[in-house]
Amino acid sequence: MIISVASGKGGTGKTTVSVALAQSLGYCNYYDFDVEAPNSDIFLKPDINHYQKVYVKYPYFIKKEGVSFKACADFCHFNAIASINEDYVFFEELCHGCGGCILVGPEGYVKEKEAEVGEISKGFKSPGIYFHMGNLKPKSMRTSNVQADLEKMLDEEQTVIIDSPPGNSCSMVNAVKNCDYCILVTEPTPYGLSDLKISIDVLKDLNKKFGIVINRDGIGNKDLENYLKENGYKILLKIPNDINIAKTYSKGGSLLDWDSDMKEKFLRIMDEIEKEVGR
Amino acid sequence: MKQLTIISGKGGTGKTTLASNFIRLAKNHIAVDADVDAANLYILLKPTILKTEEFIGGPIAYLQGECINCGRCEELCRFDAISDSLTDIKFDSLKCEGCGVCEYVCPVDAISLKAGKQGEYYISDTQFGKFVHARLDPGAENSGKLVTIVRNLAEDIAYKGNNDLIIIDGAPGIGCSVIASLNGVDYVVIIIEPTLSGISDFKKIYDVVKFFGIEPLIVINKKDLNEENRQDIIKFCSSNSTQIIGEIPYDERIPLNLANNTFAVDDEASTAGKEIKNIWEKIMSLG
Repeated sequence: MIISVASGKGGTGKTTVSVALAQSLGYCNYYDFDVEAPNSDIFLKPDINHYQKVYVKYPYFIKKEGVSFKACADFCHFNAIASINEDYVFFEELCHGCGGCILVGPEGYVKEKEAEVGEISKGFKSPGIYFHMGNLKPKSMRTSNVQADLEKMLDEEQTVIIDSPPGNSCSMVNAVKNCDYCILVTEPTPYGLSDLKISIDVLKDLNKKFGIVINRDGIGNKDLENYLKENGYKILLKIPNDINIAKTYSKGGSLLDWDSDMKEKFLRIMDEIEKEVGR
Repeated sequence: MKQLTIISGKGGTGKTTLASNFIRLAKNHIAVDADVDAANLYILLKPTILKTEEFIGGPIAYLQGECINCGRCEELCRFDAISDSLTDIKFDSLKCEGCGVCEYVCPVDAISLKAGKQGEYYISDTQFGKFVHARLDPGAENSGKLVTIVRNLAEDIAYKGNNDLIIIDGAPGIGCSVIASLNGVDYVVIIIEPTLSGISDFKKIYDVVKFFGIEPLIVINKKDLNEENRQDIIKFCSSNSTQIIGEIPYDERIPLNLANNTFAVDDEASTAGKEIKNIWEKIMSLG
């Protein structure tokens, strides 16, 4: 079974919930899909034993008299290459690495090289957590390529936990599209509620089952709970607003470090999810 | 005209709180929400929409004719967006990047690309001046492109209206929408929490901002959460000659203000609001 932990608004506690769930289970395969700002290693503290680079392909163009790259420029849907007579300008940051310019360009004069855009670290935390974390190289903007390599590693031999990036765009979709159940983490503020509604739209579009964790319960107002009640959405857990949780978090501690009773609560959530998914 | 972007790397560290209070304090400015897939600035600004435009994202491939199951498109698609091309071809709209390779190689012209609406963007009036914002459709791509559109629009309005500042509320992370919110701006404020994860994400966004040749201004939020981490941030900044322009205390009134639709800077009892005012004055004095 694959469980994704997502949230439209950032900083509501996705990683906090993902890590607490993993620690409570003890045995699971963990994937940090928040490749632009991955943090799970800080809280799970796995022994990292393997790094795997993420590469994408970029074209390069061999200049020669009489050879024009106009066909490449005309074809490229991303405007990554401009051609002026026999000269050209290539904008690497616009290139998606589709290989189209090789197909349409002068044969033998468009070639490809690999560029590193990120890295995946793999590790282990006892008793049985297999850890995977993607890390995008700053400035490379190839979030989905790093996520795609992580996706290839998804292994359902044990329960899979995916820590999603914030937001409701394609990088969030990449983290939830394979899940059997999505835990949406939010907080009872107008910001939390506004972003939650969009996340729910995404999950409904994808036909996903989901439940809500309310973090920092007690702040803000009652609008979130009223909304959840009106729509019949399931509240899996409420985590209180407690400065000590924030302080534990600031040091890299988890919810289980803050209160060992949390383990029971997360195992109960897991039971509920299993029942709902039907496994 | 100057442009100021507020970003953070890690989400939920206070970007929108800072941005909305700056907007409250600023005069003769345009506000922009560049967090297009989780926009929140509208909540406090309460915009009256003057104009709505459709955002047409990049095109994606679809089957328009009779497929002869040759498999050529699937073989060449680098994004795994095509499957079962030898029997009953399927396109994965989430994976397709709209490169057009499949359309090009199809021997019977059965594939075409089509662009569709992927969101909306708005020009609005607010009590605090003009506001340009957007809503990316749930799950859509091209957030960077939408950010660029929204920013260009804001620049147009600012030129015509003689506004001297654009305040941009950025997205979390270091991806395409964040980069689109940094391009060509004059000031970048990075707001950071003294947590281990906050510091880790801060260092990544710091690198990105430096790459753009911008000297970021640092704001530490919830400064009293962890003294050791706070000192680490101060050390990092001073060794890189980067200026910390303010430190906002942990203040339970922040979510309370938000729930009551009020600004921290208008709340006499808010210690955070007081510091945000100081930060704003420091930024204004930079010229």
